[in-house]
Formats: sequence, C-alpha cells, structure tokens
Amino acid sequence: MLRHCTISELLDLRDGEGSAWARSHVSECEDCQVELDRLHQRVAALKALPSYSPPRDRWPVVRAALVKSRWRAGWQRAGWGAFAAAAAVALIVTARGLIGPGTPPLMAQEVTDLQQESVQLEDILRQVEGERRVLRGVTVAVIVQLEDRIAIIDAGIATVQRDEDRVTIELRDLWRERVTLMDQLVVTHVQQASYVGH
Amino acid sequence: MTETTLAAMDELAIQRAKSGDLEALERVYRAYESTVYTLGRRICRTAEDAEEVLQETFLEVCRSIKKFRGTAPGSLTAWIKRIASSKALIRIRYEKYRETDELQEDGAWAGRGDGDVGLQLDLEQAMGRLSDTSRAVVWMHDVEGYTHEEIAELMDRTVSFSKSQLSRAHARLRRMLGKEVQC
Repeated sequence: MLRHCTISELLDLRDGEGSAWARSHVSECEDCQVELDRLHQRVAALKALPSYSPPRDRWPVVRAALVKSRWRAGWQRAGWGAFAAAAAVALIVTARGLIGPGTPPLMAQEVTDLQQESVQLEDILRQVEGERRVLRGVTVAVIVQLEDRIAIIDAGIATVQRDEDRVTIELRDLWRERVTLMDQLVVTHVQQASYVGH
Repeated sequence: MTETTLAAMDELAIQRAKSGDLEALERVYRAYESTVYTLGRRICRTAEDAEEVLQETFLEVCRSIKKFRGTAPGSLTAWIKRIASSKALIRIRYEKYRETDELQEDGAWAGRGDGDVGLQLDLEQAMGRLSDTSRAVVWMHDVEGYTHEEIAELMDRTVSFSKSQLSRAHARLRRMLGKEVQC
C-alpha cells in the first residue's frame, strides 16, 4: 500500500537518520519532497527569529547576590569567629569587671546586649531573605551599600578585638553601628516584601 | 553581540572572571544577557520567567565559572547556554502552566491539502501555542542544536520522548502555519 512519510520519518531524514525506505520514497515522491522542504524552511525561519533584549537590567541583582554570598562566606570564615571572640571578651569583662579606665561601667553589658540584638537581626534577615522574590534595582543598590558597610564594620570589630583584650568605647561604637545597619537592612528587605505584596 | 565578539571576549575576560573580578563578570553578563534572555523567552511562556532564567543562569555562571575548563572557541557560549537551558527547563517543569491546547497524535501527513489555512498563524504565535515541553524540544533541537540524547538528559526523560515531542510539535506547527513559512 502506498503511503507518504510521517513527520517523524521526515525529521529523521533531515537529521541524517532516515530509513532506506524513507530516503527512496522521498526521492520519488514530489509531495514528500515538498513537505521536507517545508520542514527545512520552518527550521530556518525559527533560527531567523529576532533576539530579545531583557526589559530590565538584572546585573545589579546578580551582583548583589554575589556580594552577599561572599560577605556571608567571609563572615562564616572570620566573622563568626570574631563574633564568638567578642562574646567571650564581653563575658570575661562582665565577669571580672575588666572595664578600662574612663569607660562607663555598663559598657560591657551594653556590648553583650548589642551582640544579642545583632544575632536576632541576622535571624530575621535570614527569614526575610528566604522569601524568594524579585528585587527592584533601587532596593538592590541600597542593600549592596548596607552590606558593604556592615562588612567594613565587621572588619573593624575583628581588628579591635585582635588589638584589645577588653571592651573599649571603639568596640561598643562599632557594635552600635552594626546593629543600626543591620536594622536598616532588615527594614529595607521588609519594605521590599511589602511592595511586592501589593 | 556576534559570535566573533563573544569569542574575543572569552580570551580577554574569562581569566579575570574566574578569579571573581566583578567587573569581568559583568562583562560576561553583558556579552550574554541577550542570548540567555532570548533562550529563556523561547522556552518559557512569559517574559517574567525569561528574566528569572536570566538571573538564575548568571548567578550560577558567576558562582561556577572558576570550574569552567573549556578552551575551544565557543565553549563558554555552549556552557552558558546549557546552564540557561537547564534553568528554563526547571521553570517549565515546576511552574503550573496551563497547557493552551492538546497536541494531536502524530501521524502521516499523508498528503493532506495545505493544512488548516484558517488557523494560519505566524511562527512565534504558533510556537506560543505549543505545550511548554514541545516548544522547549523544538527550540533546543532545531535552533540550539542539542541532540535528542542531550535533551533527554537535560529533561530527565528518554530519547524517544524527545523525538516524539519534536515530531508532534512539527505536525502541529505545520497545521497552524498552513502552507509556507517565509524566511
């Protein structure tokens, strides 16, 4: 019984995998030759479709995510160690009353409180960031700036703790600054979540 | 950006990008953003999904580029496109898209006239009416040049599944497009 090639058989032929029967049939059947030509034309037309340009620049988001992951990696390598050291120093200072001359007596406690607050803010930030969503370019820029500043503060904390074995005004001020920046970072993320929610 | 420009950029920027230089990574992004976004648009149904594909692809590119070992011309392009294809396929696999219509059985076209001329659409519209999976297979095989084996691996399906999707999609495209496709 005479039959024409199926689309599958024509596709195989096009891809150089056709059966001997299909090859022989197409060489003799004008209708199947036309159909094979259409297949080639269709694919050529697909390849000729225009390219698109993304409507928004996604690089700031990608960059922010990269900076954030590096910041976290750095924090995990050094920051948590610095944090632990700071906590230990604060604990020792509190226990022994090693408050330097000229520093307020409650400073060690204040630093401990700031460290705890910072940990709580880190927890909140992790929760907020866990909600997968698209960030606006302006928000990303603010987040990147805040994270960069926090990274600088963390480096400062690590340096002060390396040089001083007691709580200093400088260390307390750095922790205050860190908590303020962390707070701003959380607020920025939460506001973005609210915006997306609308 | 032309392939030649991309290849030239590979040589100049890839080593810096591998070291994590953000400026070099941005150059890679700028060179490939249109390529990746277009691939995302062709495989996924919406522009928003294509943007997500773009973002997810470059996050992975930036994080993994230090492991990239390709040296042949165009190997960076192929590597980035493979990541993009994978991200796009993940999106269409997990997004609960509504299939626009059911594919009909693949059979012999058997010399039927010129198809449903009344349903004649342009190629982009016709592609948009295919199921997500069929559209992805057509694009990856016929345009990007992936083999059925590669598509099967990326989709976690069989080679015969990929072949069957391709032939059903072409049967449907033929019916929707009618007589001719002008290049």
